[in-house]
Amino acid sequence: MNVTAKTYQKGEIPGVIAIDASECKGCDACKRHCPTGAIQGMFGSTHSIDVDLCLSCGQCLINCPFGAPYETSDAVDAVMDKLKDKGTTVVGIIAPAVRVAIGEEFGMPVGSLVTGKLYSAMKKAGIEIFDNNFTADLTIMEEGSEFILRARHAVFGEKGENGEPIGPLPQFTSCCPAWVRFVETQCPSLIPHLSSAKSPQQMAGSVAKTYGAKVWGKPAEKIYAVGIMPCTAKKFEASRPEFKSAYEYQEHTNKTHNESYPDVDVVLTTRDLARLFKKMKIDLAKEQDYTPEILFAEYSGAGTIFGNTGGVMEAAVRTAYAVITGNELTDVEFKPVRGLKGVKSASVTLKDSKYNKEVTVNLAVVHGIARNLKPVIDQVLAGTSPYHFIEVMNCPGGCINGGGQPIQKTGSSWVDAIRPWFAWK
Amino acid sequence: MHSENMILKHPLSVRIFHYLLVISFIPLALTGLILFFKPFSEGAMNLTMRIHIAAGILLTFDALSFFIIGYKRVVLFLSRVFSVSGNDFKWFAVLGGYPQKLLLHKKIPVPPMGKYNSGQKLFGVCVFIGGVILIFTGLALWAFPHNLPHGTVALLGYLHTIAAWTLTLFLCVHVFLGIYMFDDFKAMFLHGKIPYEEAQEMAPLWVEKEIIAINKK
Amino acid sequence: MSNQDYQYIENPLHVTRREFITITGIVAAFMALPAIWIRSLASSNNDYIKARTKNLYMDDVKSKIRVSHANKSVARYYKEFGVKPLSHLSEELLHTKYINRTKALS
Repeated sequence: MNVTAKTYQKGEIPGVIAIDASECKGCDACKRHCPTGAIQGMFGSTHSIDVDLCLSCGQCLINCPFGAPYETSDAVDAVMDKLKDKGTTVVGIIAPAVRVAIGEEFGMPVGSLVTGKLYSAMKKAGIEIFDNNFTADLTIMEEGSEFILRARHAVFGEKGENGEPIGPLPQFTSCCPAWVRFVETQCPSLIPHLSSAKSPQQMAGSVAKTYGAKVWGKPAEKIYAVGIMPCTAKKFEASRPEFKSAYEYQEHTNKTHNESYPDVDVVLTTRDLARLFKKMKIDLAKEQDYTPEILFAEYSGAGTIFGNTGGVMEAAVRTAYAVITGNELTDVEFKPVRGLKGVKSASVTLKDSKYNKEVTVNLAVVHGIARNLKPVIDQVLAGTSPYHFIEVMNCPGGCINGGGQPIQKTGSSWVDAIRPWFAWK
Repeated sequence: MHSENMILKHPLSVRIFHYLLVISFIPLALTGLILFFKPFSEGAMNLTMRIHIAAGILLTFDALSFFIIGYKRVVLFLSRVFSVSGNDFKWFAVLGGYPQKLLLHKKIPVPPMGKYNSGQKLFGVCVFIGGVILIFTGLALWAFPHNLPHGTVALLGYLHTIAAWTLTLFLCVHVFLGIYMFDDFKAMFLHGKIPYEEAQEMAPLWVEKEIIAINKK
Repeated sequence: MSNQDYQYIENPLHVTRREFITITGIVAAFMALPAIWIRSLASSNNDYIKARTKNLYMDDVKSKIRVSHANKSVARYYKEFGVKPLSHLSEELLHTKYINRTKALS
């Protein structure tokens, strides 16, 4: 990539998405889906991507009628090589959104839930199963605890146990790498508001190479963590150089001097994994359901809904309510945060059992940030936001409609009302 | 004016419609080819696209207003071009005698034709169907490529391209023969009249069945 | 003799009111059918998103455990390894810092 990229650290993949000029007709459909205006080129001329603005979200890729954008990073062959290597344990970290979409690449109806078949196909391919829904539950524990601490600090002045500085409200979720990069490149003053919790993918990498090494009985440097994600921005996220926590932990625990390795080695999108299965002659549609015994495949319903817009918020509410009040929710389904409306909001009033006081928590859920994000963050920047906890997902509908998902020819990511857009320049 | 007897073949409304068609379709075809092959730089391609859209709007306006103002002419035209007979196949078998006339300077007998000969009827059908396709798909591609399912947009793009290439190539034949038959050229672009003898030779069935004499002064 | 003179014209077309309505009706139908087709395609463009969303919520309904804090494997992880949320080890492995990319990066 001969690009002079200014917003990338050394080691990160600049420009996960690029545009094939011979296919591009200059119709501007991609520009209307791009959250940052990263697509350059006047109407009618071939377009190109400005990598410094690009979030690698892939919305242009799944919406272009002519298939002009493509991914520059393809790890299928690398993973197949590692699978052949007997000394390496290939661990597949499967995101929630993959299980309702990968069937589509094998002729199954749109949205089929194929978790059992996916496990079976992975087992056949020799990939160790690590369900990212397990890490989603872990993320809720970490991020939920962080939110409760920030909230109790803001309302009751509670201090943290480690004496570390406590972040401000509103707290933003940080599991969407495109959203995180958006904050870092467009409004870095919001960085303190981002949850310090890693995304589930990165937590999975750290856990697989520390606790997982114990569970599987394999050395950490021989574990090859493959993120299997509905998202092209995860390829960028996994390449972030600071994500080598497992390596650093192993170094100072075992006092070794090994070569550095990342928490997540490579990322395959849902499409990539389907291609890998096909190359290995595995037909997912014909697989029988398989239930793995490993603890990394145990997940709750709250973890699995992470793939939908509002899912992270709903999962957080289920746990935060129980932790704050000491009682479980009678009805765990929190409907106000579900659906395709651009910005959804809800209020939850509950009694904090630790301080014996009633508090009202205002929640917001934003998705499709190209069209819906601005008013929400303008409020936060101005200090007038009524919300305490905001979930942000770059892609309309959430991760299930991510840039790495199977491309549905009958669909488009446009979730707003049908309206014409008369391009001119 | 070398003959005393002239037939009004193209009234003013038809001629105006055709002028507007010419000044909108030729830029459309040229800019369309440029957009297809993409030979120019960014600014030039954007200008090309703007011209293409402006000309497209003009073409749409021309078609719509002629449909409303010249309603009867449209009905006549369509009823003529969509009528097929055995003579049409025979006409195509000799290609209307044009290759022989142009290349061999020989005149051969052709089946009797109405106002439009078989080739013109085929061109008329292509223009009508192709034009409708181009206008509808053009509008969808310009204003709605983000709303519509992208498989559909790709399909509309193919239809647009196929109709455009068909019409553009066929247009070359139309322009060539339209200038070669110079009396008809004058009729469409100048005064609308053709000599009676010319019509009797080229369109005998039309003269026989549909021409009436009028008394002037 | 003026240049505008001509001696013959085409027999003018007479369209009865009934024929006019018939023709206009056919034309309107031809215009309406693709418009309706396109409109139904455009309004169903999110169906694939809704299908995936619905089935993911079904996965939640089918789950025996529906809240993260009841996940026994997560509890086992904390007991055997992580100590508890926001602990020092959690900060090291499961939390991160972000970068201001508007400033010059190496």
